[in-house]
Order: sequence, then C-alpha cells, then structure tokens
Amino acid sequence: MSETPKQRSPVTEFHESHGNWLRITTVRIIVQTTMFALFLSFVALTTFAKLDQYPTLRHWVSKILEVDPLVSIATALTTHTIYKGLLWSLLILIPTLFIGRFFCGWICPYGALHHFVGWAFGGLKGKRKADANRYRPMFAFKYYVLLAMLVLAIFGSLQIGLLDPICLVYRSFTGSVLPALNMPVQSIFGDYRLHQGGWFIGALLFFFVAMNLVIPRFFCRVLCPLGALMGFLSRFAWWRIERNCDLCDYCNQCPTSCEGACEPDKELRRSECFVCFNCIEDCPTGALTFAFLPPKDHEVTSPDVRRRSVVVAALAGLALYPFARSSAGSTRNFSAKCIRPPGSTEELEFLSRCIKCGQCIRVCPTNVLQPAWSEAGVEGLWTPVMNFRIGHCQLHCTACGQVCPTGAIQRISVEEKLGLGEFADRGPIKLGTAHFDTGRCLPYSKNIPCVVCEEVCPTSPKAIYTERQMRTIRDGKKTVTASTDSTVTLGDPPLAGQTLAQPTTFPPDRFRGDETTLCYVLIRHPDGMTETQRILGNDARTLRIEGRFARAPETGSTATIKLEYKVPSVDTRLCIGCGLCERECPVVGDRRAVYVTAEGESRSQYYGERDRNRSLRLLKSEG
Amino acid sequence: MTDTRLTRRELLQRGAGAVIAAGLAAAGGYALYDPKGNRGLRTANDAALKLKNYFADIDFPASSPRLSIATGGPESMEKLVRAAIGGLDPSQGIKRFIAKGDVVLIKPNVGFDRAPHLGATTNPEVLRWTIRLCNEAGAGRVIIADNPIESPDACFSKSGIKEIADAEGAKVMLPAENTFATLAIRDRAPDPTRGEALGRWQLFHRPLADATKVIGLAPIKDHNLCGASMNLKNWYGLLGGRRNQFHQAIHNIISDLGLMMSPTLVIADGTRVMMRNGPTGGRTTDVKPGGEIGRPTIVASVDPVACDAWCYQHLLGRDPAKLAYLEMAQRKIAEQTATGVKRLGERDWQAYERAGLIAKAVL
Repeated sequence: MSETPKQRSPVTEFHESHGNWLRITTVRIIVQTTMFALFLSFVALTTFAKLDQYPTLRHWVSKILEVDPLVSIATALTTHTIYKGLLWSLLILIPTLFIGRFFCGWICPYGALHHFVGWAFGGLKGKRKADANRYRPMFAFKYYVLLAMLVLAIFGSLQIGLLDPICLVYRSFTGSVLPALNMPVQSIFGDYRLHQGGWFIGALLFFFVAMNLVIPRFFCRVLCPLGALMGFLSRFAWWRIERNCDLCDYCNQCPTSCEGACEPDKELRRSECFVCFNCIEDCPTGALTFAFLPPKDHEVTSPDVRRRSVVVAALAGLALYPFARSSAGSTRNFSAKCIRPPGSTEELEFLSRCIKCGQCIRVCPTNVLQPAWSEAGVEGLWTPVMNFRIGHCQLHCTACGQVCPTGAIQRISVEEKLGLGEFADRGPIKLGTAHFDTGRCLPYSKNIPCVVCEEVCPTSPKAIYTERQMRTIRDGKKTVTASTDSTVTLGDPPLAGQTLAQPTTFPPDRFRGDETTLCYVLIRHPDGMTETQRILGNDARTLRIEGRFARAPETGSTATIKLEYKVPSVDTRLCIGCGLCERECPVVGDRRAVYVTAEGESRSQYYGERDRNRSLRLLKSEG
Repeated sequence: MTDTRLTRRELLQRGAGAVIAAGLAAAGGYALYDPKGNRGLRTANDAALKLKNYFADIDFPASSPRLSIATGGPESMEKLVRAAIGGLDPSQGIKRFIAKGDVVLIKPNVGFDRAPHLGATTNPEVLRWTIRLCNEAGAGRVIIADNPIESPDACFSKSGIKEIADAEGAKVMLPAENTFATLAIRDRAPDPTRGEALGRWQLFHRPLADATKVIGLAPIKDHNLCGASMNLKNWYGLLGGRRNQFHQAIHNIISDLGLMMSPTLVIADGTRVMMRNGPTGGRTTDVKPGGEIGRPTIVASVDPVACDAWCYQHLLGRDPAKLAYLEMAQRKIAEQTATGVKRLGERDWQAYERAGLIAKAVL
C-alpha cells in the first residue's frame, strides 16, 4: 500500500463536473450499437429487390466481412491474392497494431451482441462478477484454433469461416435469425424463406450467446480466432491501459466490469484487453489510464499459450488437411448434387475462397441456394449449393456474385452468364445438365400427358424439346364388330374358344384428344395389313375417325387404340442447368422426373486434370 | 518506487515493431491485391504449352518411300522389323530418322491387361527390335510410355512390354500426377459441329517433353465404335483427364489426335491382327497373323494417315473410304501444312503407289 494520500481520479472529477453521461464508455456503447445496427441493416438489405433498386448497396452489404483481417489473411494464404474489397481490412489491421484489440470492444457486431446479452441477462454482481472476469487458462484455446485454421489455410483449405465471428454472425442471421423473424410476416404474404439445416446454425448461435450467462464474452474469450489474431497483433501496440500501482487501492472495481478478462488489477494481459475503457471509468482513484508507450515490465504482452499445445494445434491443422482431402468428398467421390452458383470458381478454388458467410444464400431471389451439409464433402460444410426442390437459378440474375466478399463466386455480368455479346463464343455458364428419369416421367411411364418442363424451360431456344411417342392405352386392344368408311365399332376381344366379341363401353368422346394428346386407332386386318387413323370422337362403342379408311376394317380385325403423347428430351447443347424444370416438375418424391446433376458445369472446363471436369458438349457433327 | 519510464530499447522495440508490422501489412496487401478478383483462376486465354513437331527435323527426300511393307514368317521378327524400317531408306535405314544422342519415345499400345498373343497390345518382339534399332543408331535414351485405362503396372506387366523394355535397356515411364500438363492443341475452344474435339487438354507430357523423336508402334485392331484402332487411335494413350467423354464423337477425337501428333515415324504392327471383337478381344480365334494377308506383316511409314488407310484395306480387308476419321484427319492436316508446317497426311495410299513411293519386301 502506498503512503501518499488517496487522490480522486481525475476521470471521476471530470465526470462529476460535466455530468455523468459524457463518458468514453458511453461513446463506445453508441459505437457498438451503431455497428450492430449497421450489421443488421446490411443483412436485412441483402435481398435481390433492394440490390436491384439501389445498386450501390452491393458494395456495402458485405463490408463488415471485407474489413475482417482474418478473412483477408486466410484467403491470402489459400489463394495468394487479396480479392478486391478485402484490402479494406487494412483499415482494421493497422490501427490494431497501434491501439490493440479495439475491434473487439468497439466494432465487432457479434461482440456487441455478446456484450449486450451478458449485460442484460448476466445478473452477477460484486465479487461474483469480478470472479467471472478472471483470466482462465482455457482462454488460450482460441489461439490454438487460430493456428490450426491458418495451417489448414496454408494448404489451401479455408475453414476460418466456421468460427470467424463476422462470418458466423452473418451466417447465423442470414440462415436462421432473419428467416425466423420474417416467418410470421411472410406466412401471410407468401412462402417464407427456407434454409436446410438452419436449425443447427441458429441453435449454435443461441448456445454461444447463452454462454454469456456462464462466462461473460465466452465466445470472444475462448473461441474467437479473430480475437486471437488481434491479441497476437497487439504485441507492438503504442497505447494501452496502464495501472499506476502507487495510486491503486486494490478495491476490485476494475475486474468487475472488465470485458476482456485481462486482469487490469494484476499484470494486465494486453492480448486479452478489449480497450473497452470500463476499468478506467470505474477506477475511483484514477490509477488506470490509457497510456502511450508504457513500460513493458508492467504487462503480459504475449498470449499465454503453452508451447506444447501450440505444436499440437499446428499438427492438428497439418493433419486435418490430408484427412479431409483424402476423404474424396471434394475430388473423385464428389456428389453430383454439389451444384454451385453461377460465376463460381472451380471446386477446389471455391473451397479455398468460400468463408461460409451466407450472403449469397440470403440474396438469392428464388431461395435455391442452401448451406451444404454433406453435398460438398467435409470441407464444404455450409458452403452454398443449389437445391432445385426449393428454387431454381433465375435466368437474368447475378446477385450472388455481387455480394460475395472473397470471389468464391466471381462478379459476372448477365451477358457473361448467358453467353451474349462479347461472351457469345464462350457460350453461357452451365451449372450442370438436366436429365429425365423416364421411369417416373408422366408421359413416358404413366400415359399421362404433361410437358410442364418444356413450358418453363427459360433458355432461348428451349433446351427441353418434345417428340411425339405413341403408346397403347390399357386394355387398348379391341376387336372390330362393324365399320363404315369413317367409323368403326369395337368390342372387347372374344373369350377363349369363342368368336363373338365381348361388349365394351367407352365414355363419350374419351378419345377425342386435344392439342397435347392425340388419339389413334391402329387397324390390323387378318391378312396382316395395317392402317392407322386419328380418332375425332366416339360414343359408347363406335369411334369416328378423321377422313376415311383406305380399306374398310373387316369384322374380326384387331383395333388397337393408342394415344400420342409429347415426351420431353434435353438438348445438352442448350441446357444450362438452371433447374426450373426440376423445380416445376409435378412428380414429387425422392427424385423428380427431371433433375439436374453437376455434369457439364462450365466452371470446371479449364481444369482438365480435376475430377469434376465433365463435358456433355461433345456432339456429332450434325446441324 | 520503481522507475516506470520506458527504456530506449523498449521504445525502439515497441515503436519500430508496430510501424514495421503496419508497413509489412500494407505492403503485403498491395502486393497481393487483386482488383479484378480473378488472379490465379484459369480462363480460356491462359498461355499453354504446345506439342513439338517430331518430323520437322527429318531430312526426307521426295523420292523416298512413304510406306514400307514387310511380310514374312513368324520365325524372324528381327528380319521383319529391319526390312520394314530399312525399306523407308535403303541406304541409311533407321539412321535417317534417329541421330546420335536422340531421346526416342516409342509409344506402343499397352492399353489392356492382356497377354501378347491376344493381339490387344503391341507385340513385344516387334518392340524389342525397334528399340534395338534405335540403340544401334546411337540413341541416347529410349523411353517407352503409355497411359492405359486400367492399372499401368498390370498392363505393362501382362502384355510383356515391361520385360522387353527392361531387357533392351529402355526406360518405362508410367503415368503419375506430375507427369501430366495442359497442352494447347488448338488456340481456341473446339467446335464439335466442325468435327473438332480438342482445344486444351491434359496430356501425358513428361515423355513427350523429354523426347526429340517419337515413334508410334500400334497394333492393327478392329474397334467396335470407330471401325479400327491403328496408328492415329494409338495417340489416345497420351491423353489424360476425363478422356472417356470423347467417345461420344469418336471420329472427331481420332482425327484431332492425328492433327495433334506429328511423329517421326509410325510402325504398324500387323503380326497379330485382331479381326473382330476389338479393341479388347480376348480370344485367340479373333487374332490372325497378318490379317487378310495371312503372314505377319509390319508397315513402317512417315505418313500415319496413309499407313492407316493401307492397313485398313489390306490387313482388315475393309474400305478406307468409309472410315470417317481418315478423311477428317487428312483435311485437318492439310489445313496445317497450308501454313507451312512440315508433315504428311494423305489417306490416298494409291497415289503413293502410282508414284512408286511404296516399298514392299516379302521374306
């Protein structure tokens, strides 16, 4: 204990003379609230309609992801480039080098959320609150997470998106929270948005946020790799919180409100300090100040990591890469259901760029993009894949690439997507190719006319075309009992051993046909000669044909009633894999009668050695 | 009271450290900055490797035979091979083609895991004497390479090729991931409506890059999809990637292979011709020595298209006018020679016969 008389903190004096509201912590709270509100408005505005209406929005809605230094550093490791707007992360990175982890205390919207929940629902007071803010050895875990992920990134597998706070909060809000908020509203106006597996993403968010009731700022202190990066970068900072031991009263006020659990009343762990200024504001004697270049021996500069654990973390990253890649989910055993958005890079490039932020999934106007679970292998968890049961790729839309912060989906124009103008010789971007399952398709297998797929195929000329195919109806083989030159009267074939035809009854005009389905009768004379005529109408027993019979059907000839359906086929030269046919196919079930696979995806065409390179463009030299 | 002022060293460390780190971050950012967003991604316009013309350096006079056919008994494969190659240049023989120190790639058909007598792969004895001749001409190194569909180890072993290559001191190069490279066969994307299949494609490039001379050594076989697998089809074994897609337009790809590869010479192995059930065969009754000729025949040629046409007619007994890829290959090669490239590709072997440019030896 010092011997000088206790002073009043100049900070406290300042507050009392200017009114308690003018505190730096008030400013900080305003900034935090503003950042969270900004984040919320960014994700809320990430819709096709809004981006269409206000084109400049597309430069802003992913901005918080772009200023995230972990995103730019990790993608620099995987791709050896800094993609476009990611250069903005210098705006956060360079001040961190001089001030410390101000991002965690002031800017991070996820941190603000944790801070708010901890404050609103925490309920701890006094000594128990101070104890909750003690440093714990488990806080070193985030450095191991960061190291393992950076080692993985060196090998080309980008997994920081799983735990990076900005990616996580974007993904959780776009994938669970906003859809949940929209549901009651949209249930009235139409379909609400769907996100496969979104329940887990939301539950995970809830869990991390609820943990603030156990340990304040749990995620930020224990798991956050971005916080770990900031902590590591604070080692050279010029300004930091400094405690004057002579003035200190050991009253325990500072740890009660410390956000980072950096122990300002002890050695002050610089790498954990969020620069939140709570301790400075609360100190009654003014022992804590925000000092310029304080002496090093008063602080713990480096993160408190055990060397052995560092090695284990690095080894984990090292091992996880071959564990994941040799599981073949992204290579030879790829799923044909992994169909990526238009403008996507080739698959292994995609996995080295996608930060699983969910912006593309959010902005997609048809809701076709979904977070992957098993479709893209273990490395592709929560990356965007198309699910054509839910939506389709809108022909003139390129919104997904506009909001992708890392270039996993490139920014393409509609001309490039459709192969128009200067891109005409390259042709359109193909996401995949549609195939018919003729065992399920209605006209092929169930004698039910249907050409919805051809109708909705959006390409011009249509990739789905129809041909006519004649099929005999059930019990369509009849016997001729009488005829005129333009009618024929039928009966069921005679019973065994008999010659007389059985009576039969047709519903009136059952065989009149319409534009899509024409009805025919095939007469086979006893000498084998056949004749086919179109049926215009019928009554209970007699068919009326178009025109006249070339040879009048004799009694006893067989008459087979056939229907001619339009049956659909895909022209693989024109199909772009947009999935509208699959979306609209009326045959629902585990697989639709027409479905899209990843064959022929044009994003793989320049990567001949990779397993996804498949081309159905090869055709005979015909017109 | 402790002295709480900063030491000069600490000031330097802290002060400089932050500034240097900031400078490095900014510099690193600008160095890696990718404003267009597509750096490192492949596009249609990437520069790519091109295949050499292995015939360009051959001094081949207009009066020398274009095809040299040798027919003989099975007793002396050595005499047959020497007669066939010698027929192309009676005075110099193989030395017209192979110079001292040359790295020669002999590309046989090792496509199947079959014993040699079934005729699905190149006759190892023909390979033996071809290697021997190259070594006599002073070749620095002889490489034997092929990229089979099935396990390369099994195919090279069962077909007897590996054993012969080892015995004659030739190096067998097996396909591996780092032996492939993307080559530009055409400078633009192929147009299937004009019979084109290849633009840029992965090739088994390492043996081709190392080689200064290339000799194709293909067996003559019936083929269920394209009619016959002969010298042009033999180059299919150099393709990598997902090459199974080309079967949808088989004549496009075979004629493109004829365009892609301009070899030093080709040797058609007609010692065991697979007359039916090709290309895999599997029964000795499918195989006939010399095909329609009846006795083992070897054809050496500097014109792969003419060689294929002659073999289709005389060994398999079919009409080469009906084999689409021959006409397409001739057309594509003619487009190339019109720009000054030195190579041959005429399917009309009768024109060579009329000009006296076919040598025949019966042993």
